[in-house]
Amino acid sequence: MTVPLEVRDLWYGYPGGKGDVLKGVNLAVERGEVLAVVGLSGSGKSTLCYCLSGIVPHIYQGNLRGQTLIKGTPTTSMKIPEIATRLGIVFQEPDNQLFSPTVEDEVAFGPENLCLSREEIGERLELALKQVGMEGFRFGSPNQLSGGQKQLIALASVLSLDPEILIFDEAMSQIDEQGKAGIKSVIVGLKERDKTIVMIEHDFDNLDVADRVLLLRDGVLQPFEGRL
Amino acid sequence: MIEPYIELDDVSFAYERCAPVIGGLSLKLYKEQFTAITGPNGSGKTTLGKIMTGILRPQKGCVIICGRDSAGMKLGEIGQRIGYLFQNPGLQIFAPSVQEEISFALGLKGCSKEEIDSRVSRSLRDFDLTNLSDAFPFKLSRGEKQRLAIAAVLVNKPDFLILDEPTTGLDMERRRALSDILLGLKEKGIGMAVISHDRVFIDRLADRTIKMHGGEIVEDRT
Repeated sequence: MTVPLEVRDLWYGYPGGKGDVLKGVNLAVERGEVLAVVGLSGSGKSTLCYCLSGIVPHIYQGNLRGQTLIKGTPTTSMKIPEIATRLGIVFQEPDNQLFSPTVEDEVAFGPENLCLSREEIGERLELALKQVGMEGFRFGSPNQLSGGQKQLIALASVLSLDPEILIFDEAMSQIDEQGKAGIKSVIVGLKERDKTIVMIEHDFDNLDVADRVLLLRDGVLQPFEGRL
Repeated sequence: MIEPYIELDDVSFAYERCAPVIGGLSLKLYKEQFTAITGPNGSGKTTLGKIMTGILRPQKGCVIICGRDSAGMKLGEIGQRIGYLFQNPGLQIFAPSVQEEISFALGLKGCSKEEIDSRVSRSLRDFDLTNLSDAFPFKLSRGEKQRLAIAAVLVNKPDFLILDEPTTGLDMERRRALSDILLGLKEKGIGMAVISHDRVFIDRLADRTIKMHGGEIVEDRT
């Protein structure tokens, strides 16, 4: 069976940057697997997320060698909408992700663009908001939410797409204890539904939901042995 | 009797066309204490921090800083006393290089070149940014931006610090380094109020913990 998410000998440097941020990364993440990636800040974790999700090279060009494959197809030969139907990413900074005038519009944006029926869009919207505990904010503006609440809405907007692969780039960093427990149970639920998940984490308390933890150090991916 | 550094008296605040975020809140913060402000998402912590630094002005009640009503103080005046770290460091970074970001306020204050160089070098070292001193701040990672924003706030040597989620984006090693730096500042008599969900960080540093819920203080523990 084709691996949902695979990286083969990936090297990447930003345009105008000093050398490569990622140096020969190899990775395969299976169906139903939760992979956590840890590392010092600046070690290339968010860059890896950009490569996994096709943001590199579709948005950021730079110097890319090697391949990222989604279900066996290189992201370089896929269009962004094609990638977005299979893979959802929650960015580190929710302000970079939210753009709609209301929470409802934000969470419904993805399903609407999948051309789903009105009923299904409504169901997905309700479910996603319920999963992150933000039902009460449906008609409010994302701009008037706190940092943690914005993170929850960014997460809901990805959950409503119901992609096969989910990338969480420190998606719990501004969320309170109760919210974190809720998101971890959402991740467990996604795993049970055979979703493929990559989570970037600084908080070791959140690693208990991961099947496997890898360390990214200076652009090189390696087994995590408890120390950064 | 010790005077509070910041005092909020019956403060209420609502964003335009929204329900009140802070309702009739009174609070005294002392320089001698490290105060942690906790509470669930949306409980009003960030709004409270912005009210204390004059970024938001309350619709009711007053904020007194060093015995003066802050309604009559300009933002720059408050900024000379209180250093503020935004929850999103991208909102406060603006200079073309890391070292210029850190040195900006020192130049405005009229510090000598030697003093600026010495304080900036020390700050770069403290926050592990020396190898990034010429980098463009907007190209840094989230954690690096966070370290830079904290460095730029601290280099200004404010009397009181309000830090909104300072450990977000920081790895475990940098969190420990930051708590060591803040402990050092605490020993030097710098007052601090830190908004955070990070229990380990708070437990290590806080003398007093305030818990907010629905725009009110529901617990105040020393």
